[in-house]
Amino acid sequence: MTIPFFGKSIFVPSDIIAAWILSIVLGAILFIYVMNKRKWPLIWEYMRTTNHRKIGTMYILFGVIFFLRAGTDALLIRLQLAQPHAAFWVFQQEKYNELFTTHGTMMIFFVAMPLLIGLMNVAVPLQIGARDLAFPFLNAVSFWLFLAGAILFNMSFFFNSAPNAGWTGYAPLSTDTFTPSVGNDYFVFSLQVSGLGTIFTAINMIVTIVRHRAPGMRLTRMPLFSWATLITSFLILIAFSVLSMGLYLLMFDRMFGTGFFSGDTGNPVYWQHLFWIFGHPEVYILALPAFGIFSDIISTFSKKRIFGYPAMVLSIILIGFLGFMVWAHHMFTVGLGPMANTFFAITTMLIAVPTGIKVFNWLFTMRGGVVKITTPMLFALGFIPTFVMGGVTGVMLSVAAANFQYHDTHFVVAHFHYTIIGSTILGIFAGIYFWYPKVTGKVLDEKLGKWHFWLFIIGFHLTFLPMHVTGLQGMPRRVYTYQWGDDLFALNLTSTIGAFLMGSSMLFVGWNLYKTHKHGKKVGNDPWDGRTLEWTVQSPSQENTFEPMPIVKEMDPFWYAKVSGEKLRTTNNTRPAPISVNTILPFCIAFSLSIMSLGMIYTWYLLAVLGGASAFLLFIVRSLTDERKAYDLKEGHSNE
Amino acid sequence: MKNILIRIRLLVFACLLTGCDISVLDPQSKTADNQAFLISFSFALMMIVLIIVFLLMTRFVWKYRETEHNKNTIPKDIKGNKKLELTWTILPILLLTVLAVPTIAVTYNQSATTPKATTQDDAIHIDVTAQQFFWTFTYGNGKESTNELVIPENKSIVFHLKSTDVIHSFWIPSLGGKTDVLPEKELVYKIDNPKKGTYDGKCAEFCGVNHTKMRFTARVVSEETYQKWLTK
Amino acid sequence: MNEQAALFKDKQLGFLIYLFVESVMFATLFATYIIFTPAPSSPRPIDVFEAKSVILSSVFLLSSSGTLIFAEKGLNVRESKQNLTGLGITLLLGLIFLGLEIHEFYKYVQEGNGLTVNVFMSAFYVLVGLHAAHVTFGSGWMILLLIQYKTMKQSYQLYTEKQRIFQYYWHFVDVIWVFIIILVYLPYLL
Ligand code: HEM
Ligand SMILES: [Cu+2]
Ligand SMILES: [Cu+2]
Repeated sequence: MTIPFFGKSIFVPSDIIAAWILSIVLGAILFIYVMNKRKWPLIWEYMRTTNHRKIGTMYILFGVIFFLRAGTDALLIRLQLAQPHAAFWVFQQEKYNELFTTHGTMMIFFVAMPLLIGLMNVAVPLQIGARDLAFPFLNAVSFWLFLAGAILFNMSFFFNSAPNAGWTGYAPLSTDTFTPSVGNDYFVFSLQVSGLGTIFTAINMIVTIVRHRAPGMRLTRMPLFSWATLITSFLILIAFSVLSMGLYLLMFDRMFGTGFFSGDTGNPVYWQHLFWIFGHPEVYILALPAFGIFSDIISTFSKKRIFGYPAMVLSIILIGFLGFMVWAHHMFTVGLGPMANTFFAITTMLIAVPTGIKVFNWLFTMRGGVVKITTPMLFALGFIPTFVMGGVTGVMLSVAAANFQYHDTHFVVAHFHYTIIGSTILGIFAGIYFWYPKVTGKVLDEKLGKWHFWLFIIGFHLTFLPMHVTGLQGMPRRVYTYQWGDDLFALNLTSTIGAFLMGSSMLFVGWNLYKTHKHGKKVGNDPWDGRTLEWTVQSPSQENTFEPMPIVKEMDPFWYAKVSGEKLRTTNNTRPAPISVNTILPFCIAFSLSIMSLGMIYTWYLLAVLGGASAFLLFIVRSLTDERKAYDLKEGHSNE
Repeated sequence: MKNILIRIRLLVFACLLTGCDISVLDPQSKTADNQAFLISFSFALMMIVLIIVFLLMTRFVWKYRETEHNKNTIPKDIKGNKKLELTWTILPILLLTVLAVPTIAVTYNQSATTPKATTQDDAIHIDVTAQQFFWTFTYGNGKESTNELVIPENKSIVFHLKSTDVIHSFWIPSLGGKTDVLPEKELVYKIDNPKKGTYDGKCAEFCGVNHTKMRFTARVVSEETYQKWLTK
Repeated sequence: MNEQAALFKDKQLGFLIYLFVESVMFATLFATYIIFTPAPSSPRPIDVFEAKSVILSSVFLLSSSGTLIFAEKGLNVRESKQNLTGLGITLLLGLIFLGLEIHEFYKYVQEGNGLTVNVFMSAFYVLVGLHAAHVTFGSGWMILLLIQYKTMKQSYQLYTEKQRIFQYYWHFVDVIWVFIIILVYLPYLL
């Protein structure tokens, strides 16, 4: 469609117009709703909060919204691939490239990451007996940076310049020589901004877990989700730093004329190394927290402590460690040579061992227990076979010479969706159902939850199982169509139908939320007969939790207290809690940085300087108004 | 052994799901045959794992599910079991060792290398140039063809791959796995003993707008036809 | 335990982890530099680097770590004057270092060796430039500290913590500079 714009007429594809209209309509409805219900104070409160549960809630809220957005992309992909020679709407060629790039990038960075971090925010402090994260202010900064990055990334689409080099941004395609439009600049800056937030979160989690555990909560008694969070945070520290520098170099290539990754002067494969040194640990950053969630859920609903706790902890650590030694299994075909290929094939196979240990420990946790199939448990039970299927194709992919065939086909697409959806997404759903009472005080409806599960899991296998075959049949990934002669029609159609089943399952989530909030009853502290400390505090958790502070004598302390019919011993003599404040600064910092990024993306350097300067100014304000000063004076310390 | 594997291959993948043969699992060269063997072999090994997990899980969930009868019992605590845990540490290691042996053997043989590493006299050398969005093949006598590759059967064919712009990937599913085509460095990939026939070739590394269309045809012909074609 | 001390320990740990993040980042850039140097086309490092300017700027930056330790001694015993002089000199040295860096970059560009002449120069600028940005940030930080010290709207202990954190940062930036000398300049100047 052509639209007049300041005297010029510019071409705007109809999908973008549709998206604008839809967003404006939805925005208006939301606005009216907020007006009518007088929700402004609530919004204002959340914008200034530093409380871990509230920030966690916002992470989850926006994660779900972006899930819908990226899920829509997935459905559009599937529509375009439903039949040979299809020409669905505008999604061919460049549009299709933008589609899978946004889908992949959003799903990884703006869906899976924030949802997991949201759950960590909600649950980890409560599990270990911390009153908040160690740095509440920094936590708010992390959240707003994530949101700023995500919104920046989404804006690119509305201005008809979505990134189009795949979520892996392989050079030299991603350099300005081959993709001169601003799309991939959006990619660079939005990941940079949100990645910074992720790094801060990791620091925050580590300090919280190392220094804010309840008395007696030794590391050897810590719930596995907290353990997974700790190890994941270490992975983030390294992985996201490398990504950040990769993007930094790419920025120089795209905007300032350097040639690190260009084919003429630089080394495109170097980008792949940097990307996968980040990228492979990233998949464990996504998987480990999910493992943690499932460990806690399986143990809770089998009424048994986790089988082989030390092995579970060790295997998390081992997976995290090995995760940094396998990155080149994504690069078997770039000619690293026989030695490198074999080395990385073997290390990759090795990772299967600790992963296998975890699977069998989960299974044996159920053995001899009383397995109660609630919605969270159902997701856990769906997870085990699904994830193991993704795991075994992973081992198959590690066979380097066979990988020459699998690589970059739909076989790989099937594999990583089995692992990511099988662990991370199912884990997130499980976690949301499980901890929902700690966030809102209500338990989500079980019946609708089960509908959600079954539709999702059936749709999932229907979508991705056939892709193993289409891949072996010769269908590369990132192609927008195929031919009649390729014999791919039936399987692709099946995938598309499956994808819509998965999509429809989300309707049940919506219905469930509505129903629960209209008719659901408030529940007590401990709706699931839980085992760990989070079930001792109120639902929803209050801002001053753990007063008095429980004393932990063993693992699963709450459960054993209940079994022996005693109350947890408590104490009032505890370390100081982190100081919570209400402040709009984090929001402003993130806002300034997105202004700066916009300035960089469009090379309006004045704007960039303004944004950057304002961010620095806010740092100064922050330093001068440190919440500890008020606290300090209140405590009655005098100046001399 | 091989027969069983082929049967598994046919059974599980092909017949059950599509009823047509799957190009990668219906190899038309020695190179692809080795790869298909690895695929089937690893698949068979992994099916063992998968079946064990499925069986254990079904059994445990069924046997220990909550019923009216056990609803209020508190199960006995089990911290772990050294023997069992060792079992599922050591058995997978053994299984993976079994898989690692052929993996190393074939990978060593087949990994793409840089030009100096391969000097086989009786091999046919073909220069492959990838460019957004087509393929150019240059033969020993200087003949060029676009998007059509012609090679003689039952020979070793050595491809010298080079890109003029971004990264592409050279792939003929029936004849062998892919090798990336890089702009800054020439890679060499060998396909042994292709059988007569016409096969699809594609670009397998996302390379821009028309990546989807960057396909070519590979014709494997008899030696005479090849010679005739070369001089045409 | 003293309440403030516990909170400070949190911050200390958090900031050290942050410095670890920074070191991973710099390690990546060092790797980049090593991979791309020397580049296939000219200039080569020997054509560009000059021992004199490296030694001169190193003297200023490295001695600033010393003066900062001097300031810290003053901080510990509440010797306002010693602390302020220490900080002031550190700031001055940092600024001189920056001046020299800018001068060095300017000279290279004048000689036609800008950011884009080849990958070696690019790798050099993105690494050493990022370090210079850290020094700039640190200098701003010091100014802010001086202001806070002067106005002192907080307890002495709280101020002490701020300066401690800053000291970790400054020493870290110095250590990175040592690595720059060893990995970037030395191999091509010897
Ligand atoms: C909800 C159902 C989903 C469907 C139907 C779906 C479908 C697809 C399809 C068909 C592709 C391949 C596109 C192509 O290569 O042409 C793809 C790519 C991808 N998907 Fe999904 N997906 C779904 C969910 C997810 C989730 C939950 C994640 C991660 C958290 C994810 C991550 C990715 C990534 C990283 C890519 C690669 C993008 C690229 O090639 O750059 N997807 N998806
Ligand atoms: Cu990987
Ligand atoms: Cu391509």
